[in-house]
Amino acid sequence: MGVVSRSVGNAFRNKVRSGAVVVILAVAIGLALAMLVANQAVGSKVDSLKASVGNNLTVNPAGSRGGLGGGNPLTTADLTKAAAVQNVTSATGTLSVRLSNSAATTTSGTTPDSGRGEPGGRFGASGTTSLESAVAPGTLGQRNNSNGGSSSSGSTGGSTTTPTFSIPIQATGVSTSTTATGTAINLTSGTALTDFADTSTQALVGSTLATKNNLKVGSTFTVQDRTMTVTGIFDAGDAFDNNGIYLPLAATQTLTNQAGQLSSLTVVVNSIDNVASTQTALTSALGASNVDVTAGSANLQSAISSLGSVQSISLIAFIASLVTAGLIVLLIMIMVVRERRREIGVLKAIGASNRTIGVQFVLEAMVLVVLGTVVGAVVAAFSSNPIVSALVAGNTSSGNSASSRAGGGGFGAGGGAGGGGGGFTRTRGALSGANQLIGTISTSVGWQTLVLGIVGILLIAAIGALIPALLTAKVRPIEVLRGE
Amino acid sequence: MLTVTDVVKTFKTGDQTIKPVNGVSFTVEQGTFAAILGKSGSGKSTLLSLLGALDKATSGDVIVDGVNISKLPDGKLTAYRRDDIGFVFQAYNLIPNLSAQENVMLPMEFAGLSHAKRSERAAELLNQVGLTEEMHQRKANRLSGGMQQRVAIARALANNPKLILADEPTGNLDDETGELIIELLRHLAHEKKTTILVVTHDQALASQTDRKFRLARGKITEDTPKVPA
Ligand SMILES: Nc1ncnc2c1ncn2[C@@H]1O[C@H](COP(=O)(O)OP(=O)(O)O)[C@@H](O)[C@H]1O
Ligand SMILES: [Mg+2]
Repeated sequence: MGVVSRSVGNAFRNKVRSGAVVVILAVAIGLALAMLVANQAVGSKVDSLKASVGNNLTVNPAGSRGGLGGGNPLTTADLTKAAAVQNVTSATGTLSVRLSNSAATTTSGTTPDSGRGEPGGRFGASGTTSLESAVAPGTLGQRNNSNGGSSSSGSTGGSTTTPTFSIPIQATGVSTSTTATGTAINLTSGTALTDFADTSTQALVGSTLATKNNLKVGSTFTVQDRTMTVTGIFDAGDAFDNNGIYLPLAATQTLTNQAGQLSSLTVVVNSIDNVASTQTALTSALGASNVDVTAGSANLQSAISSLGSVQSISLIAFIASLVTAGLIVLLIMIMVVRERRREIGVLKAIGASNRTIGVQFVLEAMVLVVLGTVVGAVVAAFSSNPIVSALVAGNTSSGNSASSRAGGGGFGAGGGAGGGGGGFTRTRGALSGANQLIGTISTSVGWQTLVLGIVGILLIAAIGALIPALLTAKVRPIEVLRGE
Repeated sequence: MLTVTDVVKTFKTGDQTIKPVNGVSFTVEQGTFAAILGKSGSGKSTLLSLLGALDKATSGDVIVDGVNISKLPDGKLTAYRRDDIGFVFQAYNLIPNLSAQENVMLPMEFAGLSHAKRSERAAELLNQVGLTEEMHQRKANRLSGGMQQRVAIARALANNPKLILADEPTGNLDDETGELIIELLRHLAHEKKTTILVVTHDQALASQTDRKFRLARGKITEDTPKVPA
């Protein structure tokens, strides 16, 4: 029998009321915890998405991307301008070209560099090579090729026979031994490019392409009229990229008569937080009509921004629920103090100090809060996932009206089958891509989250309980004689 | 040990001002067993509340063992109520959801006694006021009026106060228990030198006291002791 057991006992003097208070508190606290869990889950998802975006910006000619579209090429002058923009750590340019097989080109009897759309499988190539594609044309290749042929030069008389062609080889001219997006090239044998002069004869060859053409480190092949030597063989991890080669940038420009031209720039920004502002700055520095500046993928950007609003909504809801819980404690304890004025008077009359009585009332409030928290945690455990799902679904679909999300809002967020995205995002559209990237946000409760939540609740509850406890100090001992 | 000088207590209710205690002065020595008599509404409870530091007098001084409690700060008053005063309320004022024993233990808890000591002394005091063991653990709100009154007396004695102020302590007791309580109070006054002031209508109790004061129209008068036959 001390102040603690007395407080516990007092918390249950009116069992019906205390039960109701615990239930109401549990709802508020449960909501607060669920919102905190949502906030943390979404926050860590945003971090991982941001990390996957990286600090890179890609500059493409306006209206063009990866060999599709049109517009004018970028130049080395653009590269210099880009490097001078604030917060830019480094800027590198690459030139991607398509090289068609010189044997196939010869048999089809057309002159080199006559432009795209020519029957005979030129495929929009800007040069020739002795290499033979490791990828068979297949249905996609046939379709891509015939589209180009019939649409841009429909006047080719009586093209009744399907021309034979091979898939062109993607050659990327780089100024450092990295991929176009600035990541390291995964060499399986040989060494990286070292000679970046325009007379360089160094080349890196993709693994499947090397196998198809029986190339090893030291083997040679031709690009246009130059004999190149294989210095290394790389594995990019997929069949499309392994069917390509890396050449020194200057050599690529010279060989394909594209001196000073670049197909894209990769700009590294000094911090993730500056990516968005640098994107704007780059666009205005290079001219919005000349370039498209993209950060990672547009999908990631829209995924991050919609998740960002979920994050702030959940934070606001967390705080609001906590304040609600605090107000409930405040009001109920004010009621209890008023009800027990006379009893407080008795305690003072027999020698209790203001502090003892204050502590007793704070503890009594804490008993209710702890019970509310226990029940609320159970509520949160069952409601966190649906709440996160509903929040994410609600925001991504309302934010992106064009979203093709099946099933609309509600509990559908789990349906985004993993963070695939990959190569199909361009054709699927950025908006549905965002949902795919968000994927499933798992709401596992980390102990930090739990500690944060509990500390928040106890803090708010303590503030809620403190005011009524301070009110007890104002009760005078003479209250004991009230109504005698 | 108790000196009251010119104490006035004024209550303002609406536009009315009443002075149930209006210039009261008296002195009692340590170990005195005294009664305060008077009609209902004559201000007896009000006077006790001033002596027990439950309320502050509008004017005048209450001096206990040389200390003027009218001028003490709140912190000292808490200690005074806890250590020096045993108050038996007219309406008992037990904490209803605590057991008889827990109620008696409360003042000792505030005084910082260990749980074991509190528990032991509380049981002892309850036995002294004639409350049987099986009643010690019963919740106060489930005890009869007489039992509650005895628990209230035991609680007042808990911290061995030097001044006991009891408002109608035998009002709800049968004759036999009343006798027991009167004997207990007499014993405390005469053997333990505790000063005791009881407000009472009970002739049996009043007749056992050393001095008798009468309160009427805010003034106090003392009955002249009868010349022993
Ligand atoms: N807090 C108060 N406010 C106003 N009037 C009071 C208050 N306390 C007591 N009184 C009045 O003072 C008078 C004396 O009351 P009380 O001391 O309880 O008398 P007794 O105990 O002798 O019956 C009564 O008229 C009562 O109504
Ligand atoms: Mg009275």
